[in-house]
Amino acid sequence: MDDFVDGLSEVTCDVLVIGGGTAGPMAALKAKQKNPALNVVLLEKANVKRSGAISMGMDGLNNAVVPGYATPEQYTKEITIANDGIVDQAPVFKYAARCYDIIQELDRFGIRFQKDANGDFDLKKVHHLGTYVLPMPNGETVKKALYRQLKRERILISNRIMATRLLTAKDGRIAGAVAVNTRTAEFLVLRAKTVILCMGAAGRLGLPHSGYLFGTYENPTNSGDGYAMAYHAGAALANLECYQINPLIKDYNGPACAYVAGPFGAYTANAEGKRFIESDCWSGQMMQEFYNELQSGKGPVFLKLNHLHPDTVGEIADILHRVERPSRGRFHEARGTDYRERMIEMHISEIGFCSGHSASGVFVDEYARTTVSGLYAAGDMASVPHNYMLGAFTNGAVAGEHAAEVAQEIDLPDYDADFVRLERERILAPTRRTDGIPPNQLEYKARRLVNDYLQPPKVTARMQIGQARLAEVREDFDMALVARNAHELLRALEVSSILDCADMAAHASLYRTESRWGLYHNRVDYPEKDDENWFCHTLLRKVDGRMVSEKRAIQPYIVPIETEERTAYERLRVSNQA
Amino acid sequence: MSVFDPFEDFGDAEEIALRLADADPAVRRLAVIDLAEAASPDVLRHLLAAAGDSDASVRLQVAIALSDFGTADAAAGLAALVADADNGVARAAADSLAELKDAAAAPAVLPLATHESAFVRASAFRGLKGLRAPAALGPALAAMKDASAKVRAEALGVVAYLKREETLPSLIAATRDTDASVRAVAVNALSFTSQGAAATAVAAALDDENWQVRAAAAESLGRIGHASAIDDLTVGLADDYWQVRQKCLTALGRLKALPAVQEIAALLASDLPSLRKEAAAALGEIADPSTRDALTAHASDADPDVRKTVRWALTRIG
Amino acid sequence: MPLALSPTAVPVVVDEAKCIADKGCTVCVDVCPLDVLRISDLTSKAYMKFDECWYCMPCETDCPTGAVTVNIPYLLR
Repeated sequence: MDDFVDGLSEVTCDVLVIGGGTAGPMAALKAKQKNPALNVVLLEKANVKRSGAISMGMDGLNNAVVPGYATPEQYTKEITIANDGIVDQAPVFKYAARCYDIIQELDRFGIRFQKDANGDFDLKKVHHLGTYVLPMPNGETVKKALYRQLKRERILISNRIMATRLLTAKDGRIAGAVAVNTRTAEFLVLRAKTVILCMGAAGRLGLPHSGYLFGTYENPTNSGDGYAMAYHAGAALANLECYQINPLIKDYNGPACAYVAGPFGAYTANAEGKRFIESDCWSGQMMQEFYNELQSGKGPVFLKLNHLHPDTVGEIADILHRVERPSRGRFHEARGTDYRERMIEMHISEIGFCSGHSASGVFVDEYARTTVSGLYAAGDMASVPHNYMLGAFTNGAVAGEHAAEVAQEIDLPDYDADFVRLERERILAPTRRTDGIPPNQLEYKARRLVNDYLQPPKVTARMQIGQARLAEVREDFDMALVARNAHELLRALEVSSILDCADMAAHASLYRTESRWGLYHNRVDYPEKDDENWFCHTLLRKVDGRMVSEKRAIQPYIVPIETEERTAYERLRVSNQA
Repeated sequence: MSVFDPFEDFGDAEEIALRLADADPAVRRLAVIDLAEAASPDVLRHLLAAAGDSDASVRLQVAIALSDFGTADAAAGLAALVADADNGVARAAADSLAELKDAAAAPAVLPLATHESAFVRASAFRGLKGLRAPAALGPALAAMKDASAKVRAEALGVVAYLKREETLPSLIAATRDTDASVRAVAVNALSFTSQGAAATAVAAALDDENWQVRAAAAESLGRIGHASAIDDLTVGLADDYWQVRQKCLTALGRLKALPAVQEIAALLASDLPSLRKEAAAALGEIADPSTRDALTAHASDADPDVRKTVRWALTRIG
Repeated sequence: MPLALSPTAVPVVVDEAKCIADKGCTVCVDVCPLDVLRISDLTSKAYMKFDECWYCMPCETDCPTGAVTVNIPYLLR
């Protein structure tokens, strides 16, 4: 294993789903169910059994819109306000209207949601406003249940094969993808009528404070490959300056799980053990408050459980140490941190792109369509804001159904054989060298530069230096990168995505000359929010080989937001000065 | 140059099953793992055959694998394995029984309801709960008098999931069970009904010796929504445990408990921010103008959550 | 530039007495999202070949014989 094999294969399918984490399996299932005659392929660079953000399960739904607890209108309104109004509501509303069906379907799959003694879904209120949290204290079986469904529907699964570029036809329509076997470096051309990208967040962009390349908040396999592929295929990407930054357990870098511990009475506190967060919803505003407190004399910040009854703490610990990031119990044990006695030190994550928690992603409409004909995107990499795991499932379903409908009505598009030849040369270049710079060193440097120059508070001159330094690293990538086996080649190709995402982060951040979304886009030299010029989306895309950004008007709201509701949010805004 | 097949194969059940005859139990165990992942429906037959393997590690793997099949046949296999002499196998089979989804599996599990082992009886009811099979009601009601608390708790779960008004006497009796975990589930389970007798029984549980039961009772009373509970919940505001006081506040808010507003407002002065917040939230739900001054006095509370909730409550009063 | 070898302490430990990779098992290698485990040509047992770990634990959880232990990587500890 890992030795290079010179190989080239071609397969043809109707619907190609790239990424087997959360949205991908659901997209593949729904495409197949829509039309069982279709040939549906699910491509995954790891193994579908345990890939993606929910590798070890998930401890709850953060945004369940369940009749009797919340309405799609209410949810759409809250998401709009949480995102400072920069939202196309159609996909948000569609998600909110559909997600309860998906919850019920997942329940039938055997995914275990918390139920009360009468067997009804047991929702919890976490934020000040609606009731959206459905805990999954036994949510460790999510991937297993999905895998079982994929086998049952006889979806063609292709593991350990990494897509690198999308294929397009002469008329610009999608035609498939190019991929490489991560254990042999053999080449694969996948021709398809429609392609659905479900490749997760760009979570390996910033470098964690620990300095360990793989100690990221997101699953480090989510290296932004989808963002990079969509960009190179000419698709528009929305609001990339609205970074993902999350509160986390310091050094361990896993989520603090306020959604798990909150309903039990735990909260985020400063060093005095007092609450400090004013913001009502998960947002850049909240992260700005968190950042300010960290920098202040009352910092750092902690997760406080030590005021709870020891039995309650035991119950919380049991969930946290079994589901989603189960190794955290080991982390705390080694440090001697007993939740019952001491508060747990928190910090903020490295930067990334992820619509699951913020708003940046490949632009999609309410059918999960990107701006490239035949190309769809869903989950953490698509632009539906704050959509979390349930959004990945729901929008994956939307994408799968629509892509199946389109695929049954069109012929297989042609692709450019010369493009494939050139892509093969690009990919294999690091394997032709015997010495040079290995991928881990190149990656460390690129991500260290992201931290030094691109993370907020954002400063124009600093970001420009960052661009210049990153361009030097890219030159090293092109001229000196060496991969001695197929595994190193996998890492090298991920670095390529990381560099693309870093360039996009800098470009998008420089384009929006105002501050918005709290910490996510806190531009020190443009400290004010400028609604007159910037109450709009930004779209970034590749035009004639160059990165360009443009404004895009917000689509008229379906659910009107009263001025008073918006100003209520304004009053909660905090200073972006630490 | 090589050409490769990029797709995971669906597995040939017959071919894998040959390895079930291997002399090495580790090889047989791996065959079970492979069978579980093969897509064809005939793998179940081979898995059921392997359920009789002489080696416990192989049977354990079968018990895990059977959770993927919701059919009555798989349930029958699990029903045998849950009584396995090896504890690990029995536990895995019990977990797999709890994954059953299809009500057609109930007949295979029901005979275990009277098994001599309390673990088996409890596991049977645990598996039956999610199936919501009416046929399980009789055995479950009988088992609510079982000598084992674990069996009583699981049997109670079966009854509670079926949500039948005619089972209220049994559910009410369970609120006085000798075991606290049974009592906690029972008070929670009674929240599906709006019958006064249920509210009375749950309100009585506000005097339970166990604080978790008292907290569960308060929560349940909020859901039942019977005004008759207001007096008892008001008394609960002086409970020794702040966790119980907090649940009583929430419930009083849900009941729009006008007679309790002064007692609720008094908790706005609590040392605990969680209680101040919950008191403000309850007063916001009730929205009685007589509490405006008490709320206004806390509009600049040191805790941001309390502050926000107080301001929200004041907008409700207008 | 020529390449050097720098040592690193890896977080995933395999108990070779319990590991049944020599009987054909590849569970831990299959489930690792980062693909960092391999079966040794020398011992026919599983081991961590690349120090690129998210300490996510499928290898430990899914191992049928309990042979795998995931430790927290040293830099985070």
